[in-house]
Amino acid sequence: MLLIRCPYCAAERPELEFTYGGEAHIVRPQNPSSTTDDEWRDFLYIRSNARGIHYERWRHMHGCGRFFNAVRDTVTDKFVMTYKAGLPRPDQAELEAARS
Amino acid sequence: MSTFRIPGKGRVDPSKPVQFTFNDKTYDGFEGDTVASALLASGQHLVGRSFKYHRPRGFLSAGSEEPNALLGIDHGPGRVEPNSRATVVEISQGLKTISQNHWPSLERDVGAINDVLYMLFSAGFYYKTFMWPKSFWNKVYEPIIRGTAGLGKSPTLPDPDIYSSRFAHCDVLVVGAGPAGLAAALEAGRSGAKVLLVDEQAELGGSLLSETDGGIDGLTGWAWLKASVDELAGMANVTLLPRTTAIGYYHQNFVGLCQRITDHLASAPEGTPRERMWKVRAKQVVLAQGAIEKPLVFDGNDRPGVMLASAARTYLNRYGVKVGASPVVVTTHDSAWLAAFDLARAGVKVVAIIDIRPIVPAHLTASASALGIEVLTSWTVTGTKGRLRISSLRAKPIHGSAAQAREFACDTLLMSGGWNPTLHLFSHSQGKLEWREDAQVFLPSKHVEQSRCAGAGNGDFGLARVLAEGAEAGVDAAMDAGFTAKASIYAVNDELDMTGISSRELPTDRNADTAKAFIDFQNDVTAKDIRLAVREGFKSIEHIKRYTTTGMATDQGKTSNINGLAIAADAVQRPVPSVGLTTFRPPYTPTTFGAFAGYNRGRLFDVTRKTSIDAWAEEHGAVFEPVALWRRAWYFPKPGEDMHAAVARECKATRDSLGIFDASTLGKIEIVGPDAAEFLNRMYTNPWSKLQPGRCRYGVLLGEDGFIRDDGVIGRLTHDRFHVTTTTGGAARVLNMMEDYLQTEFPDLKVWLTSTTEQWSVIAINGPNARNLLAPLVEGIDLSEEAFPHMSVGVGRICGVPTRLFRMSFSGERGYEVNVPARYGRAVWEKLIAEGQAYGVTPYGTETMHVLRAEKGYIIVGQDTDGTLTPDDAGLGWAIGKAKPDFVGKRSLARPDMLKTDRKHLVGLLTADPKVVLEEGAQIVLDPNQSVPMTMVGHVTSSYWSVALGRSIALAVIEGGNGRMGETVHIPMPDGTLQAEVTGTVFLDPENTRLSA
Amino acid sequence: MHTHHPLVGRALAGPHARVNMRPVEDCARFILRIDPQNLAAASTIWGGNLPPTTGGLVSASGRIATCIGPDEWYLIAPLAEQDAIESAFGELYATTIHSLVDVGHREVGITVEGPEAVLALQATIAFDIAAMPVGSGCRTIIDKAQIILLRQGPDSFRIEVWHSFADHVWNLLAGICREIELGV
Repeated sequence: MLLIRCPYCAAERPELEFTYGGEAHIVRPQNPSSTTDDEWRDFLYIRSNARGIHYERWRHMHGCGRFFNAVRDTVTDKFVMTYKAGLPRPDQAELEAARS
Repeated sequence: MSTFRIPGKGRVDPSKPVQFTFNDKTYDGFEGDTVASALLASGQHLVGRSFKYHRPRGFLSAGSEEPNALLGIDHGPGRVEPNSRATVVEISQGLKTISQNHWPSLERDVGAINDVLYMLFSAGFYYKTFMWPKSFWNKVYEPIIRGTAGLGKSPTLPDPDIYSSRFAHCDVLVVGAGPAGLAAALEAGRSGAKVLLVDEQAELGGSLLSETDGGIDGLTGWAWLKASVDELAGMANVTLLPRTTAIGYYHQNFVGLCQRITDHLASAPEGTPRERMWKVRAKQVVLAQGAIEKPLVFDGNDRPGVMLASAARTYLNRYGVKVGASPVVVTTHDSAWLAAFDLARAGVKVVAIIDIRPIVPAHLTASASALGIEVLTSWTVTGTKGRLRISSLRAKPIHGSAAQAREFACDTLLMSGGWNPTLHLFSHSQGKLEWREDAQVFLPSKHVEQSRCAGAGNGDFGLARVLAEGAEAGVDAAMDAGFTAKASIYAVNDELDMTGISSRELPTDRNADTAKAFIDFQNDVTAKDIRLAVREGFKSIEHIKRYTTTGMATDQGKTSNINGLAIAADAVQRPVPSVGLTTFRPPYTPTTFGAFAGYNRGRLFDVTRKTSIDAWAEEHGAVFEPVALWRRAWYFPKPGEDMHAAVARECKATRDSLGIFDASTLGKIEIVGPDAAEFLNRMYTNPWSKLQPGRCRYGVLLGEDGFIRDDGVIGRLTHDRFHVTTTTGGAARVLNMMEDYLQTEFPDLKVWLTSTTEQWSVIAINGPNARNLLAPLVEGIDLSEEAFPHMSVGVGRICGVPTRLFRMSFSGERGYEVNVPARYGRAVWEKLIAEGQAYGVTPYGTETMHVLRAEKGYIIVGQDTDGTLTPDDAGLGWAIGKAKPDFVGKRSLARPDMLKTDRKHLVGLLTADPKVVLEEGAQIVLDPNQSVPMTMVGHVTSSYWSVALGRSIALAVIEGGNGRMGETVHIPMPDGTLQAEVTGTVFLDPENTRLSA
Repeated sequence: MHTHHPLVGRALAGPHARVNMRPVEDCARFILRIDPQNLAAASTIWGGNLPPTTGGLVSASGRIATCIGPDEWYLIAPLAEQDAIESAFGELYATTIHSLVDVGHREVGITVEGPEAVLALQATIAFDIAAMPVGSGCRTIIDKAQIILLRQGPDSFRIEVWHSFADHVWNLLAGICREIELGV
């Protein structure tokens, strides 16, 4: 069982309190009806399925209740960092800093 | 009996005799004995038959690595456990043990014919033997394989024991309480860190328990051990867990420990758990698991009486048992010499020490000479004899002729092929291994977790180095956990360097193709099998493992993996590391299912959610069914009624007069805030802005993919406050989905969500007399048709308690849903039952609810829909707010595939024979004469007997169903094909006159 | 009108009193959701400071307020104060929007007290109970049931759990308490 740092609680909590929420930074179009079929298909179904660094959503379901984003390495299953929903994807420097 | 017990020797307690049985014969032992040590004390070596060849087998080891001595352990009814290692099972008064894998008896086993037919059972024999004819698989091969496969017999009775589990947190977890682990725990404990020290054995001490020479800080090994354990036991910050196996090492220093609490006791207080699974989160971990001795590989290395030299030493020094009267020691490593010396000093006539090496340390030969033991160096062993126990071995000089060979009579052969560090947990943690060519061992290299290895597990075998490494590891762990510590320095007496070499098969002058030189004793894999697998093209060790089954037994290859790997590497002529090492997987040793289940069995197997009214239903004879985690009243049979009769009666009573139903499990969400209506606009397909306070509406929730996810009635209490209901199973999912959109897509909306599922008990009142029942009991809500028409919601009081009263119907009758605060639920229910007697009020369950709604064509999400139906598919197109610019899933409804006319549509079905009730899930075809496989165009989703219509009804999804009204479709069933006509989904009162009747 | 409590009549006190469990009396409970910027206004209505950060707990005059999320507070008060609290927040809504939802019947309270209370809870709760500050509260999960856990003293905890899960949580903890009383 992993420990996951909730960026809202600012604390590491057991994985049992969390639920997974799929890939992060998949932006719902502002005006879905103006999207083409292909754009909408991509929004619905196309995911990066990354080997290695993966940006994903989690919810501190049985805790503070907040959705947040995480960077996790799908090879090692280790979290690199977590950050609040709405914040941009961390850049390379931030990832390096989080790793060290 | 105990002719092999040496009085005064060992750590067992002779003042506490214990009797147990082996194959119904009573044996004596002492407290502190294992089954193995007690049997050996009586000279019993033969304890089992091997898996494939049914060869007689004895004890190979004295520890948890044992591959051979697997017994059935019987602690009483329901407490039977197969495949238990006799080397770790502690004896207790009255314990029954039985040998396995033989018939009719251990001594005379018919299955031993396999040993003669061994050529048939070479590597991959399953794949080769059972190839053809294909038709033989189901009827011949598989039954035979299943009948003969497996070792012990599974228990047949329910396990009466209870099991426990516990999360725990510590600063330093030390795995293994040998000298390294003890030294580590002492340093960490002295630093003040919270320490957990675990060891799989009954007693802490590890290798110290097996050795009597050597001394630490002026004390004997045993005295130092006692002082150390006493000191640790006296520290409040240290927890000692003997009989506890670290079974798995997971991310972030999460380690599973299985503690055995009662197995070694003849009796325990009622309620004592048998085992406890610890789930430990440690800041730092010290792995001090020690090392496992490698067997030597030679023809006949599996006969009872052939065992690891270290095991003989353990039996002697720890249990006071000499394993034989005339042992021969065969070795490539110094450590076996010490076993020979200990036995000789205990009065055992050691026949010879045969060392494969040309040169051995002079101090060893000197000691052997002093003890009168014959020494043969640069000699090898080429075979053994003896039917149920070794009686002799043949040895010869490695470079000599057959004429120089000698036969040695012996009753035990003590072997050592060197030592392998125990790397299992380190490997579980994804730590990287490094091959040391000189020592021919894998050693821990790069740690991935906050951990460190110490002692023999790190490849260091001298006691001084082991203690120093343990102390250092303890200090480092404590410091890394934030404590201050300084390593003690230990003075060790008479330390001898232990050296050795590694060997593949021992050199032989005999035909290697007929040799039975075992590598994996339990799975009967020989060196020849490995070489054959390589010749047949298997190059990867993972493939060789699966083809030969080496290392796949219950011991997980603890004694066999490295020998197998070395021989495979030799056969493919590649260095060992390039052949690779098979993956170590948890658990380290076999672990009971009970320990994994912990508390979650019996009534705690899963949560059973019950409503406030559940107890009334139980008292009134309800039959229950599980719905999500809830149990719900299914129907209320009267004496003599079956389900069909009860449901027919409940349906009729409701349509004729009055039915009452516990709908409390419905999910409820309170949505509050100025943007509540806008939030619902964006979530549900329906428009909400114009819904007036005091009114409610049926809402459909889609996923973003356009498919129906949930539905329910939503009431507007005030401008800014809605009471949303969801399906029973969807409650948590819908709230999560709403929170998701609110937090991440619509954070601009001023609205908050709160689950109120359990705040309210919900009593559904349906039938022509529903209002007549409620009107006198309700205060503050005008129930007149004008003031409170269908789809209204009001806040007031009922029976003197607060209520949110909905007028709605899931039955097609005039209906109300009475919400009252949950703890009043039962009292209000009872009051309604009492007052309803005037109308023949009839409590009904979920089955009647289903029939009533199906008669009206009301869908159940998850039964009539399956995650591939759009609102149009389900006939709910009317619920879409087409003027709304957006709602979740709207865009998907315009995707090309969603507009196709041959999508599956929800339709009604009326069987040609009105008495036939279709089976839910039955497949539907258009052409009954088509050959198999037929083209299936849909399936029956709901099907019931309708007492109101006097016939069966069904709902189904059928391709292009909306265009097939009036057509006949076919439902092939095992005993004939049924016909049904496609109809609309509303079978009863399509004009909805009954809603206000 | 009678009330029916899922744990009616239950109490657990071992012979060695290492852990005691009992259901708490019925009380008023609310979930308050409000923009943290408006917390001062809510505190005024509540009649005491609402803790500003997740995990915070303020207990005074029979009322307990726990912050269980960035904009979520769990409020406990004597039953007699229920109506007054509701109407006071109702008035606040006109000037300061928020959500106050009555969950008094949603939840069941269980106190877990005694020198081994930490051990009893630790058996099935995954985070480090010993490290949980006295005077704090959080939502978490015990076995398969979501709970709100309050630590009111070193040896004194209160569990708030949805009533349909209460039986499971009680039976689970009761088994653990028996194990602790046995001293194994």
